[in-house]
Formats: sequence, structure tokens, C-alpha cells
Amino acid sequence: MTVPETAMNRAREETDPGMLPSQVRMPSPPGTERRDSMISIEGVSVFYGAKQAIRHVSLEVPERSVTAFIGPSGCGKSTLLRCFNRMNDEIPGCRTEGSIIWKGMDILSREVDPVPLRRKIGMVFQKPNPFPKSIHDNIAYGLRIGGMRDRSEIDALVERSLRHAALWDEVKDRMDESAMGLSGGQQQRLCIARTLAVEPEVILMDEPCSSLDPIATGKIEDLIYHLKRDYTVIIVTHNMQQAARVSGLTGFFYLGELIEFDRTKQVFEAPRQELTERYITGRFG
Amino acid sequence: MDGVNSPRSPDGMAKVQCIDVRAKPNNRPGGAQGATQFKRRVRPAETLIVWLLFAAASFAIVISAIIIWTLAQGSWEFFADPRVNLWGFLTGTRWVPNGGQPEFGVLPLLSGTVLIAGGTLLIATPLGVGAALFMSEFAGRRARSVLKPVIELLAGIPSVVYGFFALLVISPYLRTNFGASYFNALSAIIVMSVMVLPIIVSISDDAMRAVPQHLRDGSAALGATRWETATRVVMPSASSGIMASILLGLGRALGETMVVTLAAGSVAHLTLNPLHEVQPMTAYIAQVATSDIPPGVAVSAAFAVGLLLFIITYVVNMIAGGIVDRIKRGGGMANQGPTHRLWRAMRGWSTRGIYALLPSQRRARADRRRTGGRSEMSMARRYRAAKLGQATTAACLAFAVLFLATIMWSVLSEGIGGIDWRFLKGFPSSRPNLAGIYPVIMGSVYLMLLTMLFAVPLGVGAAVYLNEFARDTRGTRLLRRIIQNLAGVPSIVFGLVGLAVFVRTMGLGPSLLAGSLTLAIMVMPIIVVATEEALRGVPGLFREAALSLGATRWQAVRAHVLPNALPGILTGAVLALSRAIGETAPILFIAAVFSKVAPTGLLDGFLALPVTIFYWTRHPSVAFHDLAASTIVVLLAILLTLNAFAIIVRQRAESRRLW
Repeated sequence: MTVPETAMNRAREETDPGMLPSQVRMPSPPGTERRDSMISIEGVSVFYGAKQAIRHVSLEVPERSVTAFIGPSGCGKSTLLRCFNRMNDEIPGCRTEGSIIWKGMDILSREVDPVPLRRKIGMVFQKPNPFPKSIHDNIAYGLRIGGMRDRSEIDALVERSLRHAALWDEVKDRMDESAMGLSGGQQQRLCIARTLAVEPEVILMDEPCSSLDPIATGKIEDLIYHLKRDYTVIIVTHNMQQAARVSGLTGFFYLGELIEFDRTKQVFEAPRQELTERYITGRFG
Repeated sequence: MDGVNSPRSPDGMAKVQCIDVRAKPNNRPGGAQGATQFKRRVRPAETLIVWLLFAAASFAIVISAIIIWTLAQGSWEFFADPRVNLWGFLTGTRWVPNGGQPEFGVLPLLSGTVLIAGGTLLIATPLGVGAALFMSEFAGRRARSVLKPVIELLAGIPSVVYGFFALLVISPYLRTNFGASYFNALSAIIVMSVMVLPIIVSISDDAMRAVPQHLRDGSAALGATRWETATRVVMPSASSGIMASILLGLGRALGETMVVTLAAGSVAHLTLNPLHEVQPMTAYIAQVATSDIPPGVAVSAAFAVGLLLFIITYVVNMIAGGIVDRIKRGGGMANQGPTHRLWRAMRGWSTRGIYALLPSQRRARADRRRTGGRSEMSMARRYRAAKLGQATTAACLAFAVLFLATIMWSVLSEGIGGIDWRFLKGFPSSRPNLAGIYPVIMGSVYLMLLTMLFAVPLGVGAAVYLNEFARDTRGTRLLRRIIQNLAGVPSIVFGLVGLAVFVRTMGLGPSLLAGSLTLAIMVMPIIVVATEEALRGVPGLFREAALSLGATRWQAVRAHVLPNALPGILTGAVLALSRAIGETAPILFIAAVFSKVAPTGLLDGFLALPVTIFYWTRHPSVAFHDLAASTIVVLLAILLTLNAFAIIVRQRAESRRLW
């Protein structure tokens, strides 16, 4: 299944050059409706210089659900995650093959501008990375670079995002204080709120709880659970319990290859691959 | 028993220490025998080291006290004169130090300083920050590794060279095209902007590069272009460093002596017209140093002017230091203080509608009406802004590099022909075709070596103490502030101090020792500031890892912190060394004008390259200008060698850095 390149190019020519191809309504060929509600990864390989980090991975992520990628360190799951919003572009010497089809466009294509793409596919990082600005300005940042200048509009969206990330009650009285003064868990929820503010459709989470304590982790997990009503969440985690708790689908990666991808219940209770079972039961090696 | 107490280490040393401890009577009731090996122990060598480091840091206080004492004493002498009064000094509009009816109104000198420093910053700040932004965020790795040393080369060029350039290249151009006077402020401003530029670029670039990558990633993940990330995340996060760079630039501009003495003039007019001749405060002091002023009250006036200059720069640095500190502690937005209250008030007004009158808000509402909902800016518009911004910053950098090339070319083309064996091995002469610079070169070399001998141990020691051993107390902060402010004290003020303390009080006379001590106290704070910056760049994890393995603080510092900070320390030392060898103003009082011999002892008089260049540039005869150009070439060659050496070492270390 390939993208109708020509149709896409034609559509792009007719619109604002900076417009995200996803905003172009594509006439969907018959039989692809199902695919429209999916992100399909088709034969993706990623190379760092000569080293191959991802080996020809294909899978389909359904929308409005939580999909977890698990696997030992260095198995390439974070690398794959960073393909979805083209963050790998920022790494010199990183090369990607294959395609990720979302809304009828190939995310990995040179034609797609990663900048507007990232406003639709947000990302939360392993280590909370709030900007050294006030809490308010952290959330407002994404809105302002998008060209929003109206204070009341920004304030309203800031509040909504913070409520959505279950952080509003904790910070509403100190919006002008530096975000660096928040606890780790609060910082991470702030980063989630910051991502939500620009109204993405997909949220990528790269081990969002790995630097947090169990209580903060619990809060983030609750949040993720609720996010799936409105967003497609893809989460990379080391913590198998976490994957089991929050996700509907789980992919197990090993040495850059996708070993197994199935419903989470299936993966954890009756894995089809021996490698998966050994990893899940902790008998690895 | 023995098995419990002795550490299971094959290391003989540890065993000896352990026996030592056990030899003492254990007089703590109930103290377990096993605990004695954990008893606090005095390590004499280490204590001594820390005390020495502390002494090095405290030396800054001594220097500050000496400066203030010297200036105050000189000023006291000045105001004791019946023809002078404080009010007339501060408000007088005429400065006529010599003649039968001397008048000492400082305003013309002050306006000269304000005009030139203000003009310089007006040009240098946007250029410098722009160039730094381009270098840090957009230039490729390879381009950066070429550009940064080139920019640093600009910083390594001594101010007297810029003075030569201002008087003999820029000024004639302004005279013919804009009707400027022979001496004029504008030529000084133009040249000084370029002089201040590398300070701003180099330090701003370092500050922006130090912004953690994960902040850039966070911004990119929100759909920001690289330009938006650079200007809205990286620049604000580096604001304290950028601010520091601008203030250091201001300090340099306020205190710059040679360019203004050569190019701006020696008559104090009260004017803000940059095409006219003005005499800034530093230029007056230099005029005294070059003995153009008859001794007496006019000389002690230099101390009063010096005191005023010192106070101005000190206040500027004090305010600046406060801002920088607050930004650092508040992490971007200050959480208390007047700025914060103003900010809150602004937010309050905004809801009440005053803010809504701002043009940006009117545009926003228009946007909303047009789009009928959320205001979004098109990608095309954002990319246009990015492209324009990037091009502008690139142009800033190109300008700096071009200017460097122009200076180099004009000096080289004039000076290189005059260099031959006779010139290098010959002795100064009043006949230009016979003149040589052998004793001048030797004087500068000795001066440089002695200066570094005094300054590097002091500076690095003070920085290590402040950053690694001092606790963050009020006293430490004050000490740090004093050192930072010392770095901002104008070099000509050090000249006054050197004259009063080393030459006169200590009786060293106008000697090599007095000259190098003067330069050493001047460059010490530069080394401290640079070293501290380098030490701060070493991740805390390294220290903690070493400490957790049982290293003492000093061991951790010596084995892990210092080696990793070495490239930065080297940069600082080279900057300081370049400054010392090229600096003219502080030794203008001390160095000889003319001599037939090279110094052989510490107490001998000496000639120095920059001072000789200064006198030859000022000489009315064109033949001496050529000699000055040739001497500049020699000085630059020495500097280039030094810089190239340090830059290679540093870049090698940087490329090996693993974190």
C-alpha cells in the first residue's frame, strides 16, 4: 500500500505552501476507510550512520487508544517513536527508510514539513523539560509561536490545558512563578499540558514516568488513561506493569525488530513468541 | 579485632592511617571500636590547599581596597587644592587642566565617555547577539569551529591596534566624506564596536550553547521552527549569559583608553555630536600618563577622574550583577522584586483593557475576526520570519569577519614591508630609517611571562575556591561580586594604581616588576571569571560520583573537575594573556618611552610593544606610522602564535569530550 503521490502533490500545490497535507481533504479510495483511522508504519528502518537501529518494522496503531512499545534498553523503541514526529531529523547522521501513513500522507516523506506536523503529533519526553519560563508562559509558548497573540484567548487555553492535565488546582495561584520550581511529577504534567495546548491529535510519550516517583507516576498514568478518549497515545516504557495498566495494544521490540504486536492482554497473558514470554516473565538472556 | 578494623585494602597508606587512628585513646563512652575508622580526620595537606585557594580568592578584596584607597588619596590631594571644589568639579562644563586659569568641570569628559560607550553598545549589541545566535544555532559544526576562533582573534587584537586603525584609516575617511574633525568620536565608536563585538559574541555563544538540548527538543516537538526555538527558548534561557556579555562589553567600552586617546582627541568639548573631537575620562588620564600635562594639580585631577570613572563602572557592574544573579536564581522570570510586581500589574491591567490597546492586541483581534476563531499564523509567514532572521544573524557574523579582514589587510599592507632583520634586531632611534624594536620585543616577552606567573595561579586558585569549596553564603556571593566588578574596572585605573602603589609606595620605580604586577592584578579577575565558567560547565554528576567513591573534595576536584574544565580554563588564560601583552593603558605610566637596552633584571626599566606602537602612531611623521604598522605586525604575530596554540589545545579537548 503506497500513498498516491501525485494526488497528494496536486493537493499540496493548490493550498497554502505551509499547510499541513493532513488538512487537505483527500478523496479516500474505496476500502481504505479503516486505514484512515490508523497510523500505519510500513517497513520502517532507521540508521544512525552505519548502525541500523530499527529493522524493517511494520505495524498499525489505531486512533483514540493507547499503544505501548516495550522492550529492553537499546531495542530501538524510542527511535521508532521519534519517527512519528520526525524528531530524528534533529539528530545529525540519522537516516530513515520506509513510510508512516497517517491521514493519507507519508509522515516520513521529504514533502512533509516536520514543523506543522509536530503541532499535530505532540511529544512528551523522558525527562521533564519545562522551559525556564513561568508556568503560564510554558503553556502559552506553543500557542504564541503559532501566531496567537490575544491574551484572553491564550489565558483561556492555558487554563483548559492545565485542567486537562490535572495540574490546574496545584498551580493556579502561581502561574507567574518559574516552572523550574515545580516537582518532577508536576513538571511532567506541565509538559503534557504544554503539548495538549496546541491541540495535537497524537501524543508520543517517551518513558514519561521513568524519572518520577510512584505517586507522580500514578497521576500520569491516570492522565494517560483519560487522554485516550480524545487522543491517540503512543507510549514507550520500560515498566511492563505500566504498559499493562494503560495500554490497549502492546508491541514488543528486541534489537530493532518488532517481535510481537497484539492486544495488551494477549501479549501479557498469552504471548505467541517465546522471546516475548521470556522478557515478560523476566527470564531474559 | 584486626580484621574488623583494618580496611580490606591492599593500599599501604590506608593501613598506616588506620593504625594512627587506633593509637589515639578512644575516650568516647560507648563508641564502637569499628567506628574509629570513620572518625573525622584532619588532612593537613588538603587543609593547606584549601586555605591557599581561599587566600587567592580573598586577594581580590585586597586589590579592590588598594584601588579605592589609591584613588581616594589622589582625589583628596586634588580637592585639597584651593582652585578646586567638589561642586564645581561635578557640574562644571569646562575642562581646561593647563594654562594660567585651570578649570576642572568634569561634564565634558563625562559626556565624551557616555557618547562613545553608548554609541559603541548601540552598534555592538545587536551585531554581537545576532552573530552569536547564528553561530550557536545555525552554523554547522565545521563552520563554527572556524568562525569561533576567528571571532576570538578579534578579541585578541590589542586596543592600540584598533586605535591605529581608527586614527589612520577610519578617521581620514570620515574627514573626507562627512566633514568630521581630525579627531572625532565616530571613528572611535565604529572601531570600538568591533572591539567589543567578540566579547559579546564569544560569551553569548557559550551561554546559548550551554542551553540543554532537551529544551530545544521540547520546543521542536511543539512545532516550533528552529528560528522560533532559537529566539524564544534558547535566547531567553541564556539571557543571563547574554546580559553578562553585554555588560562586559559596556565595561570595556567605558574603560577603553587607547582608541579614544588616539582617535577621539585630547580637547574636552561638551558635545554629543559624534563628528566632533571629544575627550572621554580615560583619555584624560592617558594624557596625564604620557606627560602631556604639566605636573601639579592637573595630575592629581587624573585620580579624581579615575575615581569617578571607577564609581560609574562599579555602579553599572553592581546593577548588572544584581540582574544577572536574579535571572539565574529565578530561572528566567524573576519571582520577586520590582520587575515582578510590574509584570503582575501589567497582567492586571491587561484584563482591565489597557493592555488591549497595544498594537499587537489590536492586530490579534483583527486576526480573529478574519479567521473567525483561533488566531493562527500561516507557516509561510513563520518561515519568512525565520529566513529573514537567519539571514540577518548571518550578516552580523559576516560583518564581524569582514571587518577583521579589513583591519588585518590595512595593517599588513602597510607594515609587512618594514620588517627585516635590522628592524627586529635593531634599537629604537629618533631617525625612522634606523629604528629597530629588539628591546621592545624583549620587554614585552618578559612582561608577559611575569604577569602570567603572578596571575594564573591566583586566578585559577580563586575560581576553584569559589566554585568548588565555598558554600553559597552571603560572603561568597559578595566575594564573587567583587571579583566580577574588578574585571570591569577600566584598565587605565589599574595604571593609576600601579603608579601610586608599585612605582611610588613600594619603590619599585618604573620597572619590569612594577609593570607586570600592575598587569597581573588587572588580568586576574578575567582568569577567575573564565575559570569559574569552565568549572560550572563540568556536570555535578562527576563530582558526586567521585565523592561517592570516597574521594575527598580536593581529590574530586583535581582528578575530575579540573581536567574536564581545562579547555575552558585555557581559553580564559589565553584571553587574559592576550589582554596583558596587548594592553597599553595600565603600563603607560610605567613603561619607558625610549630606551637603548633590553631589561636584564626585575627592577630594570622596559619598553613594551603596545606602548611603542602608541607613541609611533601619535607621531606627526608618516615614516613613524609605518614603523608602528610594522611593530603591530610583530605584536600580532606573537599573539597569533599564542592564540593558535591555545585554540588547538582547546578544540582537541572539546572534540574528545564525551558528555
